[in-house]
Amino acid sequence: MIQFSEEAMRRYKTILSHYPEKRAALLPVLTLAQREFGWISQEVADYIGELMGYPPSDVLAVATFYTMLHKKPAGKYHIDICKNVSCWLMGVYPCIDELKHQLGVEKREVSADGKFSWDVTECLGSCGTAPAMQVGDRYYENLTPARVAEIIEELRND
Amino acid sequence: MTKILLANIDKPDQTSIKKYRERGGYKALEKALAMEPTALIEEVKTSGLRGRGGAGFPTGMKWSFVPRNTNKPTYLLCNADESEPGTFKDRILMERDPHMMIEGMAIASYALKCHLSYIYIRGEYEFVANIVQKALDEAYEAKILGPSVMGKDYALDIFLHMGQGAYICGEETSLIESLEGYRGYPRIKPPFPATHGFLASPTVVNNVETLCALPWIIQNGGAAYAKIGTEKSKGTKLFSVSGHVNKPGVYEVDLGYPLLDFINNEAGGVPDGRKLKAVIPGGSSVPVMTAAECEGALLDYESLVKAGSMLGSGGMIVLDETTSMPETLSVIADFYAHESCGQCTPCREGTGWAAKILRNLIAGKGKKADLDLLLKIADMMEGKTICPLADADVMPIRSFVTKFGSEFEALCSN
Amino acid sequence: MGRAVISVYLCSSVVAKLMTMPKFTLNGQEIEAKPGQTIIQAAQDHGVEIPFYCYHVDLPIDGNCRMCLVEVEKMPKLTTACTTIVNDGMVVRSDNDRVKEAVRGVLEFLLINHPVDCPVCDQAGECRLQDYYMVYGLHTSRIPLAMKVRKRKVIDLGPMVVLDQERCVLCSRCIRFFEHVTETGEMQFFGRGDHVAIGTFEDKPLDNPYSGNVVDICPVGALTSRDFRFKCRVWFLHSTDSVCGGCSTGCSIRVDHRDGAIFRLLPRRNAAVNRSWLCDEGRLTFHQLDGERVQRPLMKGSEGVQASVTWDEAVRSIDSRLKEIRDASGAEQILGFASPSATNEGLFLFKRYLRELGASRFDFRLDCEDKNVFEEEDQILRHFDKHPNSMGAIKLGLASDELDGIQGAIEAARAGRIKAGIVMYLKPLVPRPSDDEAEGRIIELIDQLEYSVVLAAHSAEWQEAASVVLPVTAWSEEEGTYLNFEGRVQFAAKAIEPTADARPVWEVFAMLLHASGVESRWMSAEDVFATMTESEPAYRGITLDQTRLPGVVVG
Repeated sequence: MIQFSEEAMRRYKTILSHYPEKRAALLPVLTLAQREFGWISQEVADYIGELMGYPPSDVLAVATFYTMLHKKPAGKYHIDICKNVSCWLMGVYPCIDELKHQLGVEKREVSADGKFSWDVTECLGSCGTAPAMQVGDRYYENLTPARVAEIIEELRND
Repeated sequence: MTKILLANIDKPDQTSIKKYRERGGYKALEKALAMEPTALIEEVKTSGLRGRGGAGFPTGMKWSFVPRNTNKPTYLLCNADESEPGTFKDRILMERDPHMMIEGMAIASYALKCHLSYIYIRGEYEFVANIVQKALDEAYEAKILGPSVMGKDYALDIFLHMGQGAYICGEETSLIESLEGYRGYPRIKPPFPATHGFLASPTVVNNVETLCALPWIIQNGGAAYAKIGTEKSKGTKLFSVSGHVNKPGVYEVDLGYPLLDFINNEAGGVPDGRKLKAVIPGGSSVPVMTAAECEGALLDYESLVKAGSMLGSGGMIVLDETTSMPETLSVIADFYAHESCGQCTPCREGTGWAAKILRNLIAGKGKKADLDLLLKIADMMEGKTICPLADADVMPIRSFVTKFGSEFEALCSN
Repeated sequence: MGRAVISVYLCSSVVAKLMTMPKFTLNGQEIEAKPGQTIIQAAQDHGVEIPFYCYHVDLPIDGNCRMCLVEVEKMPKLTTACTTIVNDGMVVRSDNDRVKEAVRGVLEFLLINHPVDCPVCDQAGECRLQDYYMVYGLHTSRIPLAMKVRKRKVIDLGPMVVLDQERCVLCSRCIRFFEHVTETGEMQFFGRGDHVAIGTFEDKPLDNPYSGNVVDICPVGALTSRDFRFKCRVWFLHSTDSVCGGCSTGCSIRVDHRDGAIFRLLPRRNAAVNRSWLCDEGRLTFHQLDGERVQRPLMKGSEGVQASVTWDEAVRSIDSRLKEIRDASGAEQILGFASPSATNEGLFLFKRYLRELGASRFDFRLDCEDKNVFEEEDQILRHFDKHPNSMGAIKLGLASDELDGIQGAIEAARAGRIKAGIVMYLKPLVPRPSDDEAEGRIIELIDQLEYSVVLAAHSAEWQEAASVVLPVTAWSEEEGTYLNFEGRVQFAAKAIEPTADARPVWEVFAMLLHASGVESRWMSAEDVFATMTESEPAYRGITLDQTRLPGVVVG
């Protein structure tokens, strides 16, 4: 049985206090759950449903709508690399190839050491600094294949 | 040109409340709090400010649809879900001058008699959200937010609410649905959010840039704002420019500024002496303009419609002569297929189908009949859906295929 | 509340417009709508068919399928008829080329990713995709097979429902049913865009007592009935209007049958009773009709062994034997024990015959039917009393204070105060663990009686103890009326022919009355009903017509 840590439980209560109706807290709580448990497994959906009083199906229905909520395990560093117009124009595909080469896994798969997973994503709002990718709460911009290799190296050693 | 939104954008420590106040911040809120809410709405009407998220609906009018004597609470929601491809203007405002947005929200909230307000920010902008949260904390500490706003008998809470990856949540009813904790399915209108919005209560959803214009408007008067720009497109507008330009970035210009001047001056022109091929002036949802259509076109709501496109969000993507138009369209079509919420039939099925036809075409497996089919699918989707996402796919499909037909035909076998 | 806010809004508009009866023009014809009606409702009322998948009269409005697009003058875009309230002076067209082209487009969209596996689909023949294709489509597919979105097929969702995600048009009717009717939320949309699919959490079976309804409301073959699957093509079925025999709610239903066999029961919409719904137990009641039946009248001979006799022999013998007992020991020695599953007509002549004999000891309660009849098992439809006509028995005065149910009858018989009895026993169609106990009481009663006449549809070993066994029709094999928990009388037509020589209860007593010398003028249940309305105050003035949808509450 999974459950929130004490710290996460405090955070959960703070989140609830921000809304006149509990339901509105569901998305932030799912975000919190992903931070806690890594991804939104059916077990997590069940737990959040139980915690908040919604059927697990309802929780999972919401989770599967939002692409940033992982429906399968993700690496410690999950990398989302943008393939939308400006990033594409500025040459993101060589960067994607380099990323794949560096990590040695297909998209939405987790590297053997559990450290990395990656996916292509739609516009990150980094069009002026394209190509761009996101790792957690950090943006890496003006990418080149060489820069991608550098970043992965940094993260690998982190 | 007047700098309203980006006046302090590059100044050091502008994100801190101290520097923001030193540079005149929160004076407009103080002034607003001494005014009648109805007078504030009038002032915004006078300014001619229009929604900067993409639709361009007059802000003052939107506010005036909110019932004044209702027993339900009124909510102001700040739309910071900026996700339109090519658009990164709100990000700059929040990253570099977050108090301007908070001040704008406080002014709007006071005008709307709203006591609880949310900033719906896209989940990808977590690093931006951290900056905004810090600014909110400072504002609470300075008693600019909380039970007594600037010492007045007026309470206001503002909370940050993060999305988790869904372009559609930038559509206002989808944003509301998402904020309520559901899948971000847009709602049927009517009822409009002004009467039945968040938690079925009166709600106003305003874009970050729109709200950021309010402090200046209140401080300098709606009439002063209305003097800037053109007759129907008043004030200044942010354009985020990307793609094939030397100086991509966010620039503030008076509405009515010439498009080509913008590309050649502000954005530094097309690199390496290459020729301009096309411009998507307002985010990927608006029709693409040929280089010829750009001649003489002005950056305002009416002129761009006349020139065959739309102002949209001001997310400008510049394409030079080396660009493959079918491939560009395929990238765009994939985006709409990926972001279609799947609620209503024409969009769910049409965006996916169009994207597949284009991928097939790029792969050299297309036929001439596919081009007719693409246009047919556009007709079948247009104007038949709950929200504008399908129309946002229709506009690029139709404009790319008709304006650059020969490039598409060249990919087809007979 | 989410998107259901639109239903709140539409209802509030009803209030705002209560005073007006809007007149509007639909396809050139001036029509008066009811206040607050949407275009689709007003059109339906006037026989104009506007196509739809997601709209359902008993579910909140959703407006997602876009099939009901119509043109409204002064509106730049086509609008959905299910979400637009009729305004006075509105000019609406659902029949011009612009609308037809739009609807054709929506239908083509719905079909591009559909597997078109009609030959193996149970919905064929009652599928709205097929129906509308014939009206609006008739196009050749423009999508290559390889481009179709593939989804999961044949997902087992419990005892009632099988899911095929590929056939689904994502109208959300099933989701809205579980969200707003049962409020359990088992079914949901998962994913986004053209990969959205409906399902349950971890494919969990639907353990909801109303799950079968989603099969009915699914407009296509995505949700099919596990029970009915592959049993029969729907166009071979005949339908008969009936009333569910499963409990005292008395849901209006339709019996679908072929060659004397029932294949499925479906709810018939009755706004006053069950709206569009039926519980799963009710839906499966017809399977309880299986099992060995009493074939023909059986009577104990001089050796005490039952043998087949003709109806005529049986009836004459019963009447004369009962009169002997009455004459020898008094009419109070004769008991009438009725079944709350019999029709009003059967119960009415039962009582009349016993009265004719001078008997006045009646009852029908094997358990606490007279109390359970009002007890709700849940907030939706079901009642605890699993008989369709306990209220009918109560209204006819068959609950005697003196006996106070079967226990009283057994004791009276044991004490020698009752010697003979006519006992009806019809197995409840919704089985409960307490059924065996109840049947045990019947057995005990028969054992105590010197002379017993048993009316039964199904045969059982204990019937060997009875002096006479008479085969009666089971539910659905006869026409007649039932009185539900609130006293609403409803007519059920005869769906299938009875087995062998079984006769309706009313006919058995009509024969007994005839044998007894009463001029029998009842040729049908309808005749009996007419007599009942003359002599039973509760039914006075009610016509048989009034007992059809939605039925009428008796005095």
